[in-house]
Amino acid sequence: MSEMLRVTGLTRAFGGVRAVDDCSFTVDEGTVTALIGPNGSGKTTVFNIVTGYLRADAGRVEFAGRDVTGAGTGRLYRRGLSRTFQQARVFPQLTVLDNLAAAAGYPWWQQFTPRVRAADRDRAAVLLSEFGLDGHADALAAELSYGQRKLLEFAAVLMSTPRLVLLDEPTAGVNPVLVETMERHVRERRAAGVTFLIVEHDLTFVMRLCDPVVVLDAGRPIFTGPPAQVQGNRLVLDAYLGG
Amino acid sequence: MSFDGTVRAVVLFAVLVVAPLAGLQHWVVNLAVFVLMFAVMSSAWNLVGGFAGYPSLGHAAFFGIGAYTLGIISKHLTVTTGYEPFYWLPVIGLIGAAIGAPIAAVSMRTRADVFAIVTITLLFVVQTLAFNLRGITGGSQGLAFPIPPFDASWFELPYYYVLVGMLALVMAVTVAVMRSKVGLGLSAVRADEDKARGIGVPTGGLKVLAFSVSVGFTAMVGGVWGYYESFIYPQFAVDPLITIAIVLMTFLGGRATLWGPLLGAAILEGGQQYLAYELGGSQFYLIAYALVFLLIMLVLPRGIVPTVADRLRLRRRRRRQAAAAVAEPEPDRPLADPDPKVVAR
Repeated sequence: MSEMLRVTGLTRAFGGVRAVDDCSFTVDEGTVTALIGPNGSGKTTVFNIVTGYLRADAGRVEFAGRDVTGAGTGRLYRRGLSRTFQQARVFPQLTVLDNLAAAAGYPWWQQFTPRVRAADRDRAAVLLSEFGLDGHADALAAELSYGQRKLLEFAAVLMSTPRLVLLDEPTAGVNPVLVETMERHVRERRAAGVTFLIVEHDLTFVMRLCDPVVVLDAGRPIFTGPPAQVQGNRLVLDAYLGG
Repeated sequence: MSFDGTVRAVVLFAVLVVAPLAGLQHWVVNLAVFVLMFAVMSSAWNLVGGFAGYPSLGHAAFFGIGAYTLGIISKHLTVTTGYEPFYWLPVIGLIGAAIGAPIAAVSMRTRADVFAIVTITLLFVVQTLAFNLRGITGGSQGLAFPIPPFDASWFELPYYYVLVGMLALVMAVTVAVMRSKVGLGLSAVRADEDKARGIGVPTGGLKVLAFSVSVGFTAMVGGVWGYYESFIYPQFAVDPLITIAIVLMTFLGGRATLWGPLLGAAILEGGQQYLAYELGGSQFYLIAYALVFLLIMLVLPRGIVPTVADRLRLRRRRRRQAAAAVAEPEPDRPLADPDPKVVAR
């Protein structure tokens, strides 16, 4: 199994606080890897650095075998590395269809083509149907419920046929039915060849879905392995319980 | 543009073309010239301030650049028919856009209020240059344009029709933006620029493009204004009130809409010019501007066009729902056993 993502010696400090400290881990192609850890352990900072939203003070990020350290978010997105956010970020004053079309990742020289191309419409129709949002295509994203916005954000990153998707707390603030829906979509996409890296606090969700699990504490990995071994690991228990 | 929109546009431009031929008085055509100038500039500002959400306060700098550039070019022109300076307007637009592009590339790295401050600083830099580069601009003594040999009975008409053409052009550009991925990308920038960049929208290029096109049109209007006035001074050619007016007009009519800036210009500039005639050119209109701005913020924060469109959409939706309810009545429920959740809802 080849590596989809390799993070080596990643370090990032905010003032005197080292949010990420010499962090190294890999994500193998075709896996659903979890990145968990107590609050403030640096998970979202790692996400932000890997996806280009934040620059690292030191370290290296390789995506699909290429060094992408410091690459911009847009370039990474078009190469197949996309993400969602902890608080669903959609464009509220655009329609659901526009939100999907905007995420299709066209380069600048195709910006003078129609706002929603036939190909966008077809792809969006498939995704809206799969995510149970058909019938909402012309609604403003602001009119959707929070859970529906989470689904829309997830569907939007799939418009560009990504290779690696980073999900930041996909189940935060959504009802149990939607948690199952999210889980189903991740499984289906994984079966279709998409690799996932997921930050999640819902450990039952993680245990059901993810393998392997990377546990961060104080900005660096303290455990990497199958979910069955996580709960019994002394270091992990100490990190979570403050031992 | 929808069929209704096309019909509206055809009717508008038919009226604009025919109206002056109906023997309107000079003061009415003069008023229309100024309304058209501001309609073009508001529509142009809308590309960057409305669609992209970057509130430029420096557009008056480009208005002045356009006016001075055409004035300087006109010194070397042999004006016989009087139309020669108009032929240079596309060049003025390109010069304005070319100056705007690097300024946008730098200033649009800032956002919101910081961007507004950066651009208003640009305005005062250009005004200071206009005052001090006396060898080129004439400084505070002003710059003269050639006197157009138009007959007094139809003096305003050439300017009027040139501005009608420019309005058609800027509205066509606006429609093209709204219907293309450029407009979609700019809307995404306005909503959440970091997110937009993160999903592959080329935010930097789109912002520079929108700003350049916008200030290009503004420079062209500046050129027409300079030629219309025949003599320009720095304090009027690079006037912060011009910027305030076009921002206010766009806010009043509705940002990121096709018709909003036009409507705002017609109401505000029409009202201001009318009051100027009635009150003898006093500055009372500035108080009216302040009142209008307060009212917009309080009553119509999104402007006239979006507010009316929302209300119409809501009304249509209610009608559809009512029609659907009549077409498919709910099955009868037992009267003795109402579902409390349904009742509560």
